[in-house]
Amino acid sequence: MTINFASKKILVVEDQPIMRETIKHILVTFGARFIVEAESGVNAITAMKIDKFDIVLCDYNLLRGKNGQQVLEEARYLKLLPISAIFIMVTGEQNLEMVLSAIDNKPDDYLIKPFNQQQLIIRIERCHARKQYLRSIDTKIDSGSFFQAIQSCEQLLQLNDKKMHLPLLKLRAELAIKVGDFISAEAIYEAILLERELPWARCGLGVVAVLLNFYDQAIETFQKLIKQYPIMLEAYDWIVKAYESLGDNESALSSINLAVELSPMSILRQKKLALLADKTENLQLAKKAYTAIIKLGKDSIHRSSADYAGLASVYLKSNAPNEALKIVYELDKQFRNDPEARLRSALLESRIYQAKDNKSLAQQAYGKAFKLNEEYSKQISRELRLEMAKTLYLNGNIESCDEILNDLVKTNIDNKHFMQDIVVMCDAIISEDYAGSLIQEIKKELAEINNEGVNLFQVGDIKGALDIFNLAITKMPCNHTINLNLIRIMIHELKASDYSREKILRTQTCINKAIEIGVPHIQLISLQKALDSCDSENFR
Amino acid sequence: MLPIEFSALLASSIHDIKNSLGALRALLAQLENFYIDQKPTELKHLNFEANRMNNSLMQLLILYKIDLSQFSPTIDEHRAGEILEDIAAQQSTLLSLGNVQLITQCDNELLCYCDNTLISSALCTLVNNAQRYCLTKVLLSATQEGDYVVFCIEDDGYGYPENLISSDYKQLPQMDLSTGNTGLGLFFTDTIAKFHVQGEKSGFITTDNNSQFGGARFKLYLP
Repeated sequence: MTINFASKKILVVEDQPIMRETIKHILVTFGARFIVEAESGVNAITAMKIDKFDIVLCDYNLLRGKNGQQVLEEARYLKLLPISAIFIMVTGEQNLEMVLSAIDNKPDDYLIKPFNQQQLIIRIERCHARKQYLRSIDTKIDSGSFFQAIQSCEQLLQLNDKKMHLPLLKLRAELAIKVGDFISAEAIYEAILLERELPWARCGLGVVAVLLNFYDQAIETFQKLIKQYPIMLEAYDWIVKAYESLGDNESALSSINLAVELSPMSILRQKKLALLADKTENLQLAKKAYTAIIKLGKDSIHRSSADYAGLASVYLKSNAPNEALKIVYELDKQFRNDPEARLRSALLESRIYQAKDNKSLAQQAYGKAFKLNEEYSKQISRELRLEMAKTLYLNGNIESCDEILNDLVKTNIDNKHFMQDIVVMCDAIISEDYAGSLIQEIKKELAEINNEGVNLFQVGDIKGALDIFNLAITKMPCNHTINLNLIRIMIHELKASDYSREKILRTQTCINKAIEIGVPHIQLISLQKALDSCDSENFR
Repeated sequence: MLPIEFSALLASSIHDIKNSLGALRALLAQLENFYIDQKPTELKHLNFEANRMNNSLMQLLILYKIDLSQFSPTIDEHRAGEILEDIAAQQSTLLSLGNVQLITQCDNELLCYCDNTLISSALCTLVNNAQRYCLTKVLLSATQEGDYVVFCIEDDGYGYPENLISSDYKQLPQMDLSTGNTGLGLFFTDTIAKFHVQGEKSGFITTDNNSQFGGARFKLYLP
C-alpha cells in the first residue's frame, strides 16, 4: 500500500539540524507538504497540542530535556496522538538498554540510524498498512469497548490472511487478558507454542499463570525465559509480580534490580525498585532508586510528590532527619500548588520533628496536615489517606481516623491488596481485629443496599431500583456488585422497552467501566451477550 | 598491563568510532545532495566503505555482547519478503550510484522465524561484499527448503577464494592480505544463525561457487 504523503501532517523531532534537514528533504521528495520540525521534546509536545499529526518521527536521544520515550508517554497520556497516528522512534544504534526501556508505551516501530530515503519510506508505509489493517480493532480499544474489539479481531482472523494470522492471535490473546478471560488467552498461547517456541507466547503463558494465581508455575516459566533471553524485560516485570504475590519481597527486589540495571532510564521500574527496597529495609538501594526517579522525573509525566516523600522517609529511617528535611523543602518548592504534595510534606515534617524531639514544630506540622486533610480529602490518593488515618490515630484523634478508614473501606472493598494494607496498618497500630470487623460491617451495609435495590426490582419498581443503584455508585464507584446489578437492571429495562441507541450506548459504557475496575470476565460475558442481542442494529 | 580488560577498551573505542562514523555518513548524504545529475564515482566508494565500517563495528559490538553472555536474539515471525526489501533499501543509495544490479526473489507469502534486525544486518554485509566482487549482478532470494527458510546470495563474479569455502566457520579464516577479506561477515552470520533454534534443528550457513551465474553462492538456513 502506498501512502499519500501530500495529505499527511508530519512532525519531525530531532535535535541535530543536519539530520532534521535530511529527513525533511526525503519527505518532501516523496510529496510531503505539511512538515513541522521540533528540536526538543517540549517543543514536540507543544506542536502536538496545536496540530493533530498523522506521522511523528521522533529521535530517542534528544540532547536536552525529555528523551523520545518521554515524549511518547506524555503524548499518549495527554491524548495528543490520534489512534490512526504513526509514531516511529529513531534510535542512534541498536542500543538495547534504551530501546527496551519502554514498559507499556511502545512506539509503532523503531528505525535505526543511519537510514537512507528508501529505508525511511518503507518503514512509514509498513506502519501505515498495519494500522489501516487493524483500524477496526484499534478504534474499539481506544473507546474502551474491549468486547467489540474482540469481535472485530475474530472477524479479521476469519479472513485467513496467513501473513496476519500470528499478529492477530497475539492481539486476540492480549484482548482476552484485558477483559479478564485468562483461560482463552492461555489456550491461544498454548496453541501457538505447540507449533513453535516463540518468546512472547511463552511470556504470555507466564503472565496468564500470574493472573490465575499459579505463582510457582509462573516463576518457573519466567526463570527459564530470563535464562534464555537475559534482556527480555517483560519477563522480569512479571516475575516481580509473582514473587510479590507470594509475599517474597526479597526475590522480587533482586529481580527488579536486575531489570533496572538493564533499563536504568525506565522510571516506572525505578519506582518499583524503590518501593520494594523500602519495604525490605534496603535503605541504601531505596535511596539510590528514589534519587534516580527524581532525576528522571524532571522530564516525565510519571513525576510525583510521592517520590520526594519516599526519599525523605528513607533518610528519616536512616537517622538522617536533616537530610530528610532538605528533601521536604525541595518537595514544597517543586509542588507548590498540589494539595496532595502539601499533605505529604506536612505529614513528613511532623514525623521528622518528632524524631528531632521538637514537639512544638511537630505539633504545628500535624495541625497543618489535619487542616489539609479536612479541606481536600476527596482529591487525595487512598495510600496517602491511609497514612493520614494512621497519623490521626497516633495523635489521639480516633474519630477522624475512623471516618477515613470507613470511607476507604467503602470505596475500595473489592481491592484485595489495598484491604490487606488497611488490615496490616490497623493490626500494627490499633488492634488485631479492628479492620476485620470494620470490613464485615461495611459488607453488611452494602448487602442491605443491594437487597433493597434487588427487592424493588423484583416487585417491578424498575425506576426505584435504578435510583438506588445509581446513588450507590456515586458513593462507591468501584464496587463490583453494585456495578453488576446496575448493568443487569439496565439490560432488563432495555429488553422491556423500545429500542434506544442512547440507552444501549450508556449500558455499554457501564460494561466498559466494569472491565476497567476488574469485574471478572465470567460475570460480564453473559451481560455483554444480552446487550448485543438487544442491539439489533449491532452491525450498523 | 592495563588496569582494565582490553575487550572493554575495545568496545568503548568502537562506540566512539561508530559515533564519528554516524556524523561522517550524515555529511556524506549532504555532499551527495550537491550533485543533482552526475554523481562522482568516488561517492560510491565512500558510501561503500562507510557502510562496511558501520556494519563491521555493529557486528563486533554484538559479538562482544555474545561473549559476555549479555545477548539474546528477539525471535518472532517475519515476512521473508520484508527482510529482502529492507536489505535492498539499505543498499539502494549504493546501487543508484553504480552499475551493479541487485535482484530480489521471494514468495510474498513466505514467513520465517528470526531476529529480523540481526539477520538483515548480517545479510547486508554479505550482499555488500557480493556487490564488490561481482561483475554485473547479485541475486538475493528466499525460499522454503524442507524445514528451513533459506536466504541465498549469488553473484556472477570469480567466486569465493579457497579459504572461504569450508564447512567450519567457527574458525576465523586466515586473513588474506591480497584481497583484504577477513571472513568476519561469514563468522558473524554463522554465529547468529546458531542462535536460531526450533526443536532439534538450528540455523547454519554454507558457501560454495555454484551460483547460477557462475560466481559465489552463500546460503543461510533458518529452521
